[in-house]
Amino acid sequence: MHQSNRLWRKGGVALAVAAMALSLGACASSSNNAGASATPSAGKPLVIGASVSLTGDFADAGKAVKRGYELWANEVNAKGGVLGRKVTMRIVDDTSSPTQVVSNYQNLINRDKVDLVVGPFSSLLTVPASQVAKRYGYSFLEPAGGGPKVFAQKLDNLFFVQPAPVVKQGDVFADWILSLPADQRPKTAAYTELDDPFAQPIAENVRARFEAAGIKTVYQQVYPAETQDFSAIMAKVVAAKPDVLVGGTQVEDAYAQVKTLVQLKFSPKFLFLSNGANSPLEFPTKVGTQNTQGIMSSGDWFPGSTATGSADFEAAYIKAYGGTADTIDNSSAEAYAVGQVLEAVAKKTGKIDNATIIASLHQGSWPTLLGDLSWGPDGAPSGSFNLIQWQGGKLVPVYPAGVSKTTPIFPKPNWGG
Amino acid sequence: MLRGGVFVAVLVTLPMLGLQHWFLNLLVFVLMYATMSSSWNLVGGFAGYPSLGHAGFFGIGAYTLALVFKDQVLATGYEPFLLLPLVGLVGALIGWPIALISMRTRADVFAIVTITFLFVVQTLAFNLHSLTGGSQGTALPIPPFSADHFEVPFYYVMVAMLLFTMGLTFATMRSKLGLSLVSIRADEDKARGVGVRVIGVKVLAFSVSVGITSMVGAVWAYYESFIYPQFAVDPLITIAMVLMTFLGGRGTLWGPVLGAVILESGQQYLTYELGGVQLYLIVYALIFLVIILLLPRGILPTIEDRLRLRRRRRRTDEAAAVWPEGPAIPSNTDSLSTLGGGAP
Amino acid sequence: MHALIQGVILGILTGGVYALMASGQTLIFGIMKVVNLAQGAMVIMAAYLAYQLFTTFGVDPFLAIPITTILMFGLGVGVELLFLRPLRREDKSELSLLVTFAVALLIEGALSLTWGTTYRSINAGYANSSWTVGSYQITLVRLWAFVLSLVALGLLFWLLNRTRFGRAVRATVQNPESARLLGVDAQWVSALGFGLGAATAAAAGSVYGLLYPFTPGSHYDLISRLLSIVVLGGLGSVGGAVIAGVIVSTSSAIVAATVSPAWSEMTFFVVLILVLLIRPRGLFGSVTRGAI
Repeated sequence: MHQSNRLWRKGGVALAVAAMALSLGACASSSNNAGASATPSAGKPLVIGASVSLTGDFADAGKAVKRGYELWANEVNAKGGVLGRKVTMRIVDDTSSPTQVVSNYQNLINRDKVDLVVGPFSSLLTVPASQVAKRYGYSFLEPAGGGPKVFAQKLDNLFFVQPAPVVKQGDVFADWILSLPADQRPKTAAYTELDDPFAQPIAENVRARFEAAGIKTVYQQVYPAETQDFSAIMAKVVAAKPDVLVGGTQVEDAYAQVKTLVQLKFSPKFLFLSNGANSPLEFPTKVGTQNTQGIMSSGDWFPGSTATGSADFEAAYIKAYGGTADTIDNSSAEAYAVGQVLEAVAKKTGKIDNATIIASLHQGSWPTLLGDLSWGPDGAPSGSFNLIQWQGGKLVPVYPAGVSKTTPIFPKPNWGG
Repeated sequence: MLRGGVFVAVLVTLPMLGLQHWFLNLLVFVLMYATMSSSWNLVGGFAGYPSLGHAGFFGIGAYTLALVFKDQVLATGYEPFLLLPLVGLVGALIGWPIALISMRTRADVFAIVTITFLFVVQTLAFNLHSLTGGSQGTALPIPPFSADHFEVPFYYVMVAMLLFTMGLTFATMRSKLGLSLVSIRADEDKARGVGVRVIGVKVLAFSVSVGITSMVGAVWAYYESFIYPQFAVDPLITIAMVLMTFLGGRGTLWGPVLGAVILESGQQYLTYELGGVQLYLIVYALIFLVIILLLPRGILPTIEDRLRLRRRRRRTDEAAAVWPEGPAIPSNTDSLSTLGGGAP
Repeated sequence: MHALIQGVILGILTGGVYALMASGQTLIFGIMKVVNLAQGAMVIMAAYLAYQLFTTFGVDPFLAIPITTILMFGLGVGVELLFLRPLRREDKSELSLLVTFAVALLIEGALSLTWGTTYRSINAGYANSSWTVGSYQITLVRLWAFVLSLVALGLLFWLLNRTRFGRAVRATVQNPESARLLGVDAQWVSALGFGLGAATAAAAGSVYGLLYPFTPGSHYDLISRLLSIVVLGGLGSVGGAVIAGVIVSTSSAIVAATVSPAWSEMTFFVVLILVLLIRPRGLFGSVTRGAI
């Protein structure tokens, strides 16, 4: 018994000593850095921190975001940096976890003392992360958190770098439909909605507008994310025979819905899928190129866009990462746009600190490869997305007139061509 | 007692040393996992029933708090902390029938039921939109603490919870209840034969354990300010708890705490510094396997075993020196004393 | 009514696949008294293997089965020898759960390292074709999947009932001590048994990959469903697992068709809880010491 006493006492002391050592270390590093932040920053590298999902559920999109950030940093450094300062991106992995993302931004801001931070992938991680940034007065430009809950926080330091909040992805489709002469519009509509923070609100927004315009809802169904079998749902859609099917979808369910409709041999006159149908390479592979004709979706960036910096982005991306313009993930373009906005603030105001960024971005219009962006007080952008359609195996913008390359095809041709 | 006192003193004074925010943030998470591992230890370590569904109760605690404070603005910010015991009670009350159903069976079926419970909770969190916000997630009121001292209230609440759980564990180890639990783990039928109220003891341990886990979930939700079903009810949380308890030593007082300190700070540090390497899950799983296969009793009991072995050998040598032809003095190795006994 | 019958058809067809997956799981339990929490992960791994064979060499997933079966069999034997055998007897019940869970995580990690987290699916040319019988759609892929499951299960039954190895397995399941007395090498049976369980996952994997998109994390959904099925069928009873697979799958499809897709997931869990409350040993399980 005595021996174990000694052991436990040793263990306890060891614990206490370890804790002391750690805390002393933390204190020491803090006092070291206190001096550093007092010196002027001109000529010093501009360190921008970001926590991105490099592993876990959001890994593929997170890596695309990382590519976008790094590409921008390289491009801007080649042009002399921001206000003469070289940009260094400090990108860390949050393993798609909200616990880790909070810790990461804590570390970036308070331990590594980065100059600026930019956002992670997905609204799910953006929400807790933006709170951390707010607490310490950092601006929070983010490329991928556009769900309604993000803006419900009413943070003045947050800016979603896309043309509009995600829920408005369907609005451009509604705009176009309602711009058609009454006799060409659909009379009945069905809505299949994925139960997730983005897809469902998109479809519901469209439904609200259609119902107000007199388009009758003949079927509406929300389905959970794990749904793999769409036969039951699509069978009911087919039975209702809608003129237009509005799908609030992500990726896999969009593919499954189209495939099931093909199997059931039903082709609506208008088909809109908020996501999935906007991936240039994957969609035709998954559902068959001959089945894509006439399907509509929405997006922000597209290859061949003439928005500010888009051509340079495309060329630089292909040079750095290979592939073709069609393989470029939109998340990379959105991340790149974040950098462009920062560049623009520096150019306009001659400064690049957090307070200036927050103060400047709430007014005016800022040019990026996603178009010109502007923000309201809660960080929601006040523009609109582009309506894109599959024509001849390629995705082309068809509405609004400012970006459209060709006229939309309607009604949607039958499956197989 | 001395060691316990030092531990408490260190914990209580740490924030006053002017520590950095990021370090306090790390400590908050370490304390969360230390508390959860200690509470899991009651069921998985002492009773020998490996629950794989504790994360379900973590989520229940998180959503309960979110429901209570839905759309409210807080005055002092301490209201959620005051309501924690209520959350714990909710968790324990839900755990009670679960334990009754599932603990009538063997350990493996118990594990199946608890895993299933975890997925049920997750599905309910997704489907019951009006209560939980579904996949849109649900917000908690923003804590109105100043940025300078934001983490400190959370830190102290977690310290209190950890000390409570450890105190409970300590009291259990020294009581009839603890003896009952251990006897159940060793051989349940014999325990029943001897008169231990097997079902009652198991259910009590489970309810208390999940009640504590629910409270930690509530604190976590308040700290994050926004929760989603797949993160609030995440199987990896259970795995982390289990791994930490195993690493430190099941059925010991300090084992889970040690495991949490090592693994949580290690994991946060490694992810931050070396992140982006896809090996994350693989490394985690490998650590787990190595521990189970090589150090099945965990760090603390293994150290103690080694020391005891050395002691015994020394005593044997001494005895042999005195009485060369006689037998060596056998030393006592009753299983109870390996429960991390000995006064702290 | 139409929707209901369509749901039943769908449920039966998918039930075959689940039956196949569950049979391996329950077999492993029967032989080794180990709940293999990595069964779902093994199915997904087999799906990835089939996917790779399809995209690189154009091998049809059904034809890939012999290849993947051999690979997965080897994996199963390896897992048993490396991770399960070293466990001491008294800890085996508790620890094997955690070990197999860790193996599942290991597989998940390896899969995301190799193939990333984008959803994959095997897009064979016939994936979209369907027959119309009366006014009901029968997707060709599901029909072939069902047929394949029946064939695989038939093979399994033949193996268990008509071969020496199968007799040894059944003897070990029924009464390990007597089996050992009669000269059955329990260690050998365990290793091969685990391999066999993994091999059934191989067949199921090809089919799964054809029917559904998958990602390394898909095994969680799968394992939770499989557990409900094996408990309903009775831990250790292959026949029970088959019947239970069809029952649960059909109920789930009916709920999806008539009530709402959101609640069809719950069917699996509700079944599990009901079984545990009413008849803990399942349909065909045997009563062993300590209930179940």
